[in-house]
Amino acid sequence: MATCALIESRLMHGVATQRGDSIEASDARDERLVHACDSAIDEARATVAALRDARVRVVVRGTREDSVEAVETTMTVAIDGLSVVTTPSNALGDYDLLHRVRNASAPMRGSILWSNGSAAVLLHEAFGHGSEHDVAPVAWPPWLAVDAPLVSRRETFRDVPLMRMTHLIARQTNAPFTLPEERIDVQLIAGGAYDPVTDIVTIDVAVSSAGPFTMRRSRAEIAASLSGASGEPVRYPGVICSREGQELYVASHAPVMITDGLL
Amino acid sequence: MTEVYRKWGRAVRYENGTVIFVSEAGEAFEQDGVFQARPAVEEPAQTRVSVPPSARADLDAFVAETQVNVAQTLLSVRSGRIERFIASAGTATHETTGTEWTEESRRVHISLVNPPLRALIDLASFDVAIVSTIADALARAGEERKAPKRIRLAPNVSAALLPSLLGELAMEQTGGGFDGRGQPIETRAVTHDPPPNWYRPGYAVQPVRAWMNIRALPFGRIDPDAPLAVALLEPVHGTTLHVLCVDGDDVFPTTVDASHIAAVSRAEPVWYPHAGGSFGAEMML
Repeated sequence: MATCALIESRLMHGVATQRGDSIEASDARDERLVHACDSAIDEARATVAALRDARVRVVVRGTREDSVEAVETTMTVAIDGLSVVTTPSNALGDYDLLHRVRNASAPMRGSILWSNGSAAVLLHEAFGHGSEHDVAPVAWPPWLAVDAPLVSRRETFRDVPLMRMTHLIARQTNAPFTLPEERIDVQLIAGGAYDPVTDIVTIDVAVSSAGPFTMRRSRAEIAASLSGASGEPVRYPGVICSREGQELYVASHAPVMITDGLL
Repeated sequence: MTEVYRKWGRAVRYENGTVIFVSEAGEAFEQDGVFQARPAVEEPAQTRVSVPPSARADLDAFVAETQVNVAQTLLSVRSGRIERFIASAGTATHETTGTEWTEESRRVHISLVNPPLRALIDLASFDVAIVSTIADALARAGEERKAPKRIRLAPNVSAALLPSLLGELAMEQTGGGFDGRGQPIETRAVTHDPPPNWYRPGYAVQPVRAWMNIRALPFGRIDPDAPLAVALLEPVHGTTLHVLCVDGDDVFPTTVDASHIAAVSRAEPVWYPHAGGSFGAEMML
C-alpha cells in the first residue's frame, strides 16, 4: 500500500517597502495573507493524497502589492525523474500524463512536433526572455501571435523586483500545418535557458519519440524554424522560470507547432 | 530531543543599482522525520538583542563603501560591460544545541561581458585589481584555442575548482568558527569519509554534511612562465573549466580538464565564497 509522507514544511513571510533605489525588507507577518496561504495549502493537500507514487512540492504564495491581493498555488509533481508543474485543478490530469508519456528511440532527424503545449517553453525562452532582455528583434512567422506581458515581479520579499513574464500564450492564425512523415514528437521538457550574451536558447527535452536530448540554437534560427501550427493554445504543464536566482511560475500555452531544421 | 536552530540576521545587498536591507529571524528543526523552517514568531528580527546593535550602522557604512567600489569598478572596466554587479554584507547570530555564535559575511559577484564571452568573478571582498585585470584581458580576448600543455590557474579560478577535487587532491579543512549545527570546525585532512561538519546556507535549508573552508596542500613547482587562466567563463562542470587564458600578449578562451593538478603554490591562499568555503592558491595543471 502506498503512503504519503510529509518530508519538509517551510513558512516564509515578509514585507518590502521601496523608496527610489532602496528597499527595506523584514520578516513581518501579515495574518490575513498567512491565513489565505494556510487555507490554500489545506485545499492542495486533498489533491496530493491522490498522487500516490509521486514526489510533490506544493508552494502557495500570498501577496499584496499596491492593495492588490493574490494567492497562487503551484505543485511540482515528479515520478521517476520526470516532473511537471501544475495547479490543484490540473494536478490529476497532469499526474496521469506523467504515467502515460514514454521515451522512444526514433532517429534524431526530421522536423520536431511540439505537442502538449511544449512549444510554449521554446517561445518562453526565445520570445519571452528576449523581451525581458530587450534584445534585437528577430523575424517571427506572420501567423504567430505571442502574448507575454512583462510586469515587476519578485520571488520573495528579500529579492529585488525584475520585469518578468506573468504568462505566455502563443496563438496561430491560419498557420500552415502538414504533419511531416519524418519527425520527432516532443512531449515534456526538462528545462530551458536563454543567454542574452550569446543569444542562444537551450532546450532540454525530457520525453520525446527520440528520447531525451538537448538543443541549442539562436533566437533567429528558432524563429526561422517555425513552419506550422494547428489548433488552439494547449496548456503546458509547467514552467518555473529562474532568472537572477528568483524562481517564478509562468503559465504557458501554445498550439501544436512544427519546427524544421533544429535537429 | 528535537534540535532547534535559530538565526537572527541583518543583511544589505547592492544588486545592479538597487540597495536592499533585510532583517529577519527564523528557526528550523526536524521532528518525526519532517524538516520544518519558519520565521521566529516571538522575537521579530527588529527587536532581537542578539544581533549586535552596531549591525545596521555597519551595513550603512558598507553601502557607502560599495558605492565607491562600484564607481571604481565601473572606471576599471571601461572597456567592457558589467552584466551583473551584486555585493552583500550581513551579520547573523546563530543558536543551536546551547551554542551561540555571530558571523559576518561579505560577498561580491560581478559578471563582465564581451560577447560572446562572460567572465564570472566571485570574491569575499572588493578587489578592484582582480576585476581590472580580468576586464582588461576580456577586452583583448581572441578566438577559442586548444588548451595549452601547461596552464596556471589564478587563485580565484582554483578556489572554484577545489570542491570538485575533494578526495582527488591532498586538502585540509581549515579550522575556525562553527558549522550549521553549532559544532566547531576543526583543522583536519580531507578524506573520502563523510565530512564531520554541516553546511547550512540559510535557516530554511536543511543542513548537509560538507567539508568547510577547504585548502589544497602545496606541492610541486609552479612554472611562472606558463599561461595563466585569470577567470572562469562558465561555472565549473566537474573538473572541466572554460577559462580566459593569458599567454604573454595573447588572450583567449580555452577549455581545460583540471582533473590532474601538477603543482599548488606555497603562497598564502585567499578565501573565496564557493560551497562551504574554499581557499584559492595558484595551481598548475
